[in-house]
Amino acid sequence: MNILITALIVSGINALLALLLVIAERFLANYGTCKITINEKEKLDVEGGRSLLASLKEEKIFLPSACGGRGTCAYCKCQISDGAGPVLPTEEALLTAEEIQDQTRLACQVKVKSNLDISIPEELFNIKEFKAKVDRLQDLTYDIKLLRLQLLQPSQINFISGQYVQLESQPYEKVKESVSRAYSIASSNSKKTHIDLMIRLVPEGICTTWVHNYLKEGDELIFTGPMGDFRIHDGVGEIIMVAGGSGMAPMVSLLHELTRNQSKRKITYFFGAVARRDLFYLDEMKDFKRSLSNFTFIPALSKPLPEDNWKGVGGLITVPLENYMKEIKADDAQIYICGSPGLINACGQVLKKHDVTEDRIYFDPFA
Amino acid sequence: MKQTPKEKKLFENFLPGKLTKEGFLGDDTRHIHDIIQADAKVLVQYQMKKETIARELKKLIHIGKQGLESEVETDDYAILVQWDRGMIACPFGEPGLHPKLIAKVKDKGSGVTIRYSQLCVHLVQHHGFFGGKGSAFRVDPEIVCPMLQRNLSSTQEK
Repeated sequence: MNILITALIVSGINALLALLLVIAERFLANYGTCKITINEKEKLDVEGGRSLLASLKEEKIFLPSACGGRGTCAYCKCQISDGAGPVLPTEEALLTAEEIQDQTRLACQVKVKSNLDISIPEELFNIKEFKAKVDRLQDLTYDIKLLRLQLLQPSQINFISGQYVQLESQPYEKVKESVSRAYSIASSNSKKTHIDLMIRLVPEGICTTWVHNYLKEGDELIFTGPMGDFRIHDGVGEIIMVAGGSGMAPMVSLLHELTRNQSKRKITYFFGAVARRDLFYLDEMKDFKRSLSNFTFIPALSKPLPEDNWKGVGGLITVPLENYMKEIKADDAQIYICGSPGLINACGQVLKKHDVTEDRIYFDPFA
Repeated sequence: MKQTPKEKKLFENFLPGKLTKEGFLGDDTRHIHDIIQADAKVLVQYQMKKETIARELKKLIHIGKQGLESEVETDDYAILVQWDRGMIACPFGEPGLHPKLIAKVKDKGSGVTIRYSQLCVHLVQHHGFFGGKGSAFRVDPEIVCPMLQRNLSSTQEK
């Protein structure tokens, strides 16, 4: 009986303390207006009490984030030289000793309670929030859709071919919150009033299910971008591209840029698919063949169906890549890969066998 | 069972629309701790450890990945691994992200097919959580234990 009474008293005290903390947080923790100085020049006045990530977003400065501020992805790292207080336990697991020494913090975990001095990469200032209208939503395969967005506000976008945007889904059915997901831009950067995205339906995916099953032509939505550093690099040697599935998207954008620049470089594009039903953009590839003087598109099917009557290249995409690497002198070739880490690793092994150094391999992982 | 405020917040991660479309509980109304406890009892019946199950499921993913989205066949299994763009967080709130990778594994001997994600392997290994009944990627111990046991013993016989 005594034990029960003691347990009840301890629980009661704990509950009371928790309640006092909540009340104090609600009514007493008024941090007022705080100043955030960015890169020693930009100064923002924000209302204290929110996370740095949320405060910057409010001011239209978008740090990358894949976990919605839950402190699990560590994409929102930035340097804070003053005002952030000690590193929190929630940050420690995601920061190296060097980063902690370097005053790197997670913007989603740092609460703005006083003036802050922070440093972020300059290119992040180019990331904007766009309002857009769904101009076209079209099946490319049974599980990949082309989403063409007409920009409304701002009405134009400047991006580098190969970059991506973060699409913000809207609530539907049981999904009560918006989520942001990254998709590579598939269109030419010379067309500034719209962008194309290629979106594969992910089982149980919140955003892809929304795009595939709920979004309609004419609907309006929000995305932020452009982001990412996948792009064409200067050079004179051959360009070898390898992709599978929706990894087609950035490659199309790169091919548009090479076309616009009237590139004379030899370009060989290996596209991996399982069966004929997974192939798409074949007409567009024919167009590139016509407009680029030295372009070859090589689709390979790993398991074509009997009805596919496939006479083209067979096997995993690494097979034709390997055969090709045996034939060519790849001393000054650049290799661009877009796909899952599995695809990138498999191709990396092939390329390593053929002495292609890592500084000539550029990839856009799905991570 | 009483929940701390932290547990209450974590519980929300398991609900539909938070990390995945349908969440991790399916139509299971039990508390997460009760689901874990009930599945742990099944493991005892089959004399299997969650670490062993996670290790075997991880092995199957590793084999399936070699197929680059084509089905890979072993003596015992047909494995298809689909790897999509993006990462997913652990609903228990641990730091780090997991690839969006889904494996479909057919046991050739019994014809039984299971479907699970890379995150499921983490949930089994580190939290003993196999998913709520009716959830999309529940790794039902009643199905997965006999399947793995059968093939583990047949491998040992070979």
